[in-house]
Amino acid sequence: MTASTLASPRPSNTCARKEAGLGSAILWETRKLRAQLRSRALLVGTLLAPVAVVLVVGAQSRPPKDSLFGRFSTENGFAMSLLVLGFASQWILPLVTAIVAGDAFASEDQHGTWKTVLTRSVSRSRLFWAKVLVSVVFGLVALVVLAAATIGASLLIVGRQPLTGLSGQLIEPGAALGLVAASWATMAPPLIAFTCLALLFSVWSRNAAVGIAAPVVIGMVMQLVGSLGGIEAIRPYLLTTPFEAWHGLLAEPRFTGPILDGVLSSAVWSGASLVAAFLVLRHRDITGG
Amino acid sequence: MRRFVISLVAAIVVVLAVGGAVVAGSGGGSSITRARLERSLPTTFSNLYADQAVLLGHPGVTPASLHATAMCDKGGAVEPDVGAGSNWNCLVSWTDPDNPMPPEGYGKFELQVHSNGCWTAGGPSKLVGFATLTDTKGREVTNPVSEFDGCFDPHGDSSPTGVEFPSLLGVTTTALRPDRDGRVSVQATCGTGSDGCRGTITATAGSTDLGTVPIDVDEEQTGTFSFDTPVPTAAAEVTFTVRLTRGVGPSKPVTLEMPA
Amino acid sequence: MTLTTDADPAVDVVGVTKRYGPLVAVDDVSLRVAPGEVYGILGPNGAGKTTLLRMLFGLIRPDSGTIAVFGRSWSRDDVRTLDGVAGFIESPKFYPYLTGRQNLEGLRLLDGSGLPDRLEEVLDVVDLTGREDDKVGGYSYGMRQRLGVAASLLRSPRLLVLDEPANGLDPGGIRDMRALVKRLADGGLTVLLSSHHMDEVEEICDNVTIMNRGSVAFHGTIDDLRAMAPDPGHLLRTGDDRQAVAIGRARHPGVVVEPAPDGGLVATGSERDLSAYVADLVRAEVPLLAFTPTRTPLEALFFMLTDARPDDVRLRGKEAVR
Repeated sequence: MTASTLASPRPSNTCARKEAGLGSAILWETRKLRAQLRSRALLVGTLLAPVAVVLVVGAQSRPPKDSLFGRFSTENGFAMSLLVLGFASQWILPLVTAIVAGDAFASEDQHGTWKTVLTRSVSRSRLFWAKVLVSVVFGLVALVVLAAATIGASLLIVGRQPLTGLSGQLIEPGAALGLVAASWATMAPPLIAFTCLALLFSVWSRNAAVGIAAPVVIGMVMQLVGSLGGIEAIRPYLLTTPFEAWHGLLAEPRFTGPILDGVLSSAVWSGASLVAAFLVLRHRDITGG
Repeated sequence: MRRFVISLVAAIVVVLAVGGAVVAGSGGGSSITRARLERSLPTTFSNLYADQAVLLGHPGVTPASLHATAMCDKGGAVEPDVGAGSNWNCLVSWTDPDNPMPPEGYGKFELQVHSNGCWTAGGPSKLVGFATLTDTKGREVTNPVSEFDGCFDPHGDSSPTGVEFPSLLGVTTTALRPDRDGRVSVQATCGTGSDGCRGTITATAGSTDLGTVPIDVDEEQTGTFSFDTPVPTAAAEVTFTVRLTRGVGPSKPVTLEMPA
Repeated sequence: MTLTTDADPAVDVVGVTKRYGPLVAVDDVSLRVAPGEVYGILGPNGAGKTTLLRMLFGLIRPDSGTIAVFGRSWSRDDVRTLDGVAGFIESPKFYPYLTGRQNLEGLRLLDGSGLPDRLEEVLDVVDLTGREDDKVGGYSYGMRQRLGVAASLLRSPRLLVLDEPANGLDPGGIRDMRALVKRLADGGLTVLLSSHHMDEVEEICDNVTIMNRGSVAFHGTIDDLRAMAPDPGHLLRTGDDRQAVAIGRARHPGVVVEPAPDGGLVATGSERDLSAYVADLVRAEVPLLAFTPTRTPLEALFFMLTDARPDDVRLRGKEAVR
């Protein structure tokens, strides 16, 4: 260290100091996210992967009939984007959001930086909400990119033909585009709930691998449980059920009951996860790092 | 690692406990009911059948003109008609002057119903054709009603539709196997329908009456009917005549050859 | 908002206890740091120093007792308790995928508004200018330690808390770090320093608390501590230990001569008595091979107060010889 002059610590007037606001904390979390390779790679992946999927599925000689809209997917762009939606909601969306949310709190443990940030002028709750908001917004951005890439690639590669709905009705391309976009939009509530679940595991396990894997595994288990016969009564409480609420938009007459149920159950799951995560973080002794 | 195991176990326990409590509390109630299927299937079928008529160049067929109705059943008489499964059968009746219904008045569709309220139906090829058809321009296109998907509202109307169709009884034995004394028996299956099959079956070999046996078979069940009188050695074939008071039997007597 | 006045002590710890199950990490500790002073918390590893400092920073909640910093406490003022406080606990940690500058800029965001931008200045103070745009992942241990000091100075603190600042540094780094702390203290900054090096604390601190197994073993000024210090011990190597011990016992009641744990003898006594004893040995023609101080008086006191392990004694003894 140099022997250079250090301006003597001025007797700072501590009353002039302001506690760091939520905005500053959000800005900080956003900067960290932008600097991370994984978040950038994830967004590039959500942009490019749908194009590859559409190209591969579109080139099949036999359409994948065992999935909803699969039988029309090779000859109808709207059906293709709904086929990809059905697949993405089952396997991809929980993973995409958990990759960032599951790491949000655990990375501070991994790098030992809890003590670094919490010895500044930011309260645990501000930091908590900043991480929650940044993770949720990132999840939604990933969803929008995935939806836009899928719909764009499907319409460009497969085409804009009238779509056969789930009641056998014919939907004109103009209306179909709106319904397909709305269907993708109904992914937002369960996606947010999975984000909150990943945040809870991130806070609780202090391990990014658990934060990322646990929501995905829970999603798979729920998917499995929800598809079993005989125990359909638990479906309304599962977090994977809202992922299928879009079916009603493609029926005639249209039904939106499952979407409203989905918003409600997603809200309950999100709220419960966030409250639990907040309490764990609030009462935690930071002994590591 | 310890935390990971704890999380996993805790999550599974919570899911199982909540799931078990819900299932126990609701008695396993499912939103997948016979009535919802009976409303959903004819609607989707009518729309797609009208599309097929356009492809085939049949004028005047609209979804409304078909007056399609359906009766659905899961797993026959032994299973309640509720819940997801691949053993749903639906009898659908509709009106198309170019394509009249068979004597029983309906066609049987096999459905795979998913727990999310969506289903895949396969139509009877005798009535709706095969997987592909040739359209008016001579192109080979997918037949929209051969196999199709639909979804119903899990909160939709679940009051009974009142649509009922009789079961269709069919003789399923294709070759007679007389016992040592020359006595024969025959198997008959009662198809999907409202109340099973009741009546009699009579066997004759030439001029010899082998006897008459009562039929009492539930829907989607098979009965075996044995005739006490031996078939005369000279007889080359046996004719079975079905008379039903409930359900629909074969329109013509069934004749089976005796083995040489 | 709490108004703070100069009358408030910089740090006021009253009866703080923290338990982890059956282990009492900090047991009813009280201490008071006046503004402007340099205060040392001394103790072997595991004495509870770090737990106490973590509680000061609000990272750990005490089970009982209160901690006030410039008159503010966590229960009343939450994170505003840290207004005017900066420092680091154990080795400072940063985000390895960000550069030094990005780390500091981000931490500045979390410091709230109302602080001057001293980024270039603090980088210069800790001699990291020119490396600030490298990722922290590529920094050496010493560079990270310096970045930790920079991050603390960025807050323009009135109280600087340093937990084992010399830990893990090479001798040159230790010298630089001590010089820096001294310079900062001379500038009027209140410094609270924890260490397990007696000489570090002796060199720069006005007041000291020695902790052992979670509780306070000594409290007072360095001068108080010196007054309590025992006579210095010397390691003695002779060609005839038996005769050396006999001479000590027979003629020098002011000198205690005992076998040392790793061979040789340890002679303890006042300087005058010791020189007389050594002169006697020479007269008796006992071959004298070595006569070196084992530890400074304060170190001896420190080990006495904290019953540190023999390993530590040997290690520290060698260091003192060097």
